[in-house]
Amino acid sequence: MSSSSIVSGRLRLSFHRHEAKLTCLLFVLGIALAVTAPRFFSSANLALLARSMGVLLIVSVGMLNVILAGGIDVSAGAILAVVSVVLVRLGNHGLPASAMLPLGLLAGAGLGAVNATLIAELRIPPIVATLGTAGLFRGLLLEWTQGEWESSIPPWLNSIGSPRWGGLDASVLAAALLILAAAGVLHRTQIGRALFRFGDSPLAAARTGISARQPIYFAYISLGLLTAIGAVFYAAQLGAVQGNAANGYELTVIAAVVLGGADILGGRGTLLGTFLGVLLLCSLQQGLVLLHVATFWQSIATGTIVLFGVILSSAQRLHQTPLLQRSPSA
Amino acid sequence: MTSTSPAPASLEKFENPSATFARRLVDLRLSGHLQPGVVTLLVLSFCVYAGYRSGDFWSALNWQLLTQSLAEAGLVSLGMMFVIASGGIDLSAGAIVGVAAVTAGIAAHHNLPVAAIEAAALAGGILCGAFNGLLIGVLRISSILVTLGSMILFSGIALALSNGSSFAGFPDGLLWWNDAALLGIPLEFLLFLATAVVAAVLLGYTLWGHYVIAVGSNRVAARYSGYPVALTLFSVYALQGLLCGMTGILLVARLASARADMGQGLMLMAIAAVVLGGGPIEGGSASVLGTLVGVAAFYIVQDGLLLLDVPPFVQHALTSILLLVSVATGNLLRGNREDRR
Repeated sequence: MSSSSIVSGRLRLSFHRHEAKLTCLLFVLGIALAVTAPRFFSSANLALLARSMGVLLIVSVGMLNVILAGGIDVSAGAILAVVSVVLVRLGNHGLPASAMLPLGLLAGAGLGAVNATLIAELRIPPIVATLGTAGLFRGLLLEWTQGEWESSIPPWLNSIGSPRWGGLDASVLAAALLILAAAGVLHRTQIGRALFRFGDSPLAAARTGISARQPIYFAYISLGLLTAIGAVFYAAQLGAVQGNAANGYELTVIAAVVLGGADILGGRGTLLGTFLGVLLLCSLQQGLVLLHVATFWQSIATGTIVLFGVILSSAQRLHQTPLLQRSPSA
Repeated sequence: MTSTSPAPASLEKFENPSATFARRLVDLRLSGHLQPGVVTLLVLSFCVYAGYRSGDFWSALNWQLLTQSLAEAGLVSLGMMFVIASGGIDLSAGAIVGVAAVTAGIAAHHNLPVAAIEAAALAGGILCGAFNGLLIGVLRISSILVTLGSMILFSGIALALSNGSSFAGFPDGLLWWNDAALLGIPLEFLLFLATAVVAAVLLGYTLWGHYVIAVGSNRVAARYSGYPVALTLFSVYALQGLLCGMTGILLVARLASARADMGQGLMLMAIAAVVLGGGPIEGGSASVLGTLVGVAAFYIVQDGLLLLDVPPFVQHALTSILLLVSVATGNLLRGNREDRR
């Protein structure tokens, strides 16, 4: 560990710089919003912002695990839809919360395990494997629901989503707890550290005795589990779900994690950066809503800010390693 | 990772390097053709089954309709093939199709001649592609990140340009692309085949094709060899933009309307088609024939399932399974070499 401390120290410094840039960007956005839409900083709106961040934050922490391990998962939106529809549909049939919640989490972890198996055992490239499972999960889900809406949710789910504690709901608390837990796992456990090293170089990790499969299983199953937790709050907040729910959600999640400075090639990324990425995306969207900007301008602004963040973090990496830059892969 | 033996013992590997190299080359050659072969076999047996179960499957009308939508996805897939061969990926392809369709719609709205409408759509596509190419080739940012951002950006631009509504009232000259046929073969499909031939020539017989493969295999080595890496990458994404623009025109001609979200689903479809055809997602290799097989497999299977009265959502799931099974089979047949990653 001591030999790598210099390198990791330098890396940590550079990533703090990326997070410093993100914070600056947030300040600029905050000032712009304070001038144009002072209502943004009212306590009611801030509570609303926190609620809108909860689910995205929970799923993003899982996606960070996967990206740290050098993978990617485009089936997260489909998993979110499957779990939320399962929860609401079976819940509406009268199954109690004590049975449904474990079942939902188990379903999420199971779907994550399917991804992990395809990637670790059959050696299908992550983007292809999850592309396939996204279509598979979504197709089976739509066949099950026949595209119909579940327009009411069971009362226990409703109470999970209802705001308390000054406008905040359980998703905010859960997101905070899960980030703390993730910080503990990523930095204080063997499997967490293995994730970074495996993502940086699977070959080097194998040479130091890290399993070639374990980090993959850990990353995708944890994403599945966290997505399932997110799905509970997603369904609870919306109050109605259908098979096409969360279509394209995975791309928002990946955008948030990447905006937070995580290296898409694996091995580098921080929870703080991910949090800032989610905060930036959500406050931008919330601000534009307050300014009564049409939806398509919101997506133009979101795309621009994602590109801007990507350029910020890449420019700095390019500066550090001009020649030995790894060729980007999918 | 296959050689887990310690360093001194692995020296024997170097006794006859040329033999290992030649064998590896043969392996690579074989693996390149293996997966399209597997897919072709699966699809052919499916065709026999579908023809046996449904009388409409081999009808001329079915194949005419099939090849039209195949042509649209095929053009994007050809562009995606070059992008993936150059070591990248383009998530914004569907959004570019939307931008091209909407620009065509705006041009038609202003009663411009057909040629100007087509030029507008192509220009819209090329501009979007060039934007990607600039960031990826010149600023050297990872393609997946750039196109993730530009996908959101372009779909927003397409929506803003169209104000969220759809365009109609296109001149007959443009709709001609959909109606015209030669010897019963739809013109769209012939255009696609011609483009595929051009793509094969570009890939196999020009310096540019060599550059694309070299950049995809090892970008650093390509740079040290003095290849124009930035220019190559830029042109690859610009070409993808052009092909997306063509797809936009064909889509507008077939549906006689233009919407911002027209290209939805085409991006994933194109990536899946390239991979199904045996193109490694890591880049450095490409086959036009493989891509043709990949995209045809998707559309033939989807069409067959439709005729077999399989519910639409199950069709979707089954085509996904086709992708997973064929990639996994290709991997297993290739001997599960672990040095890929």
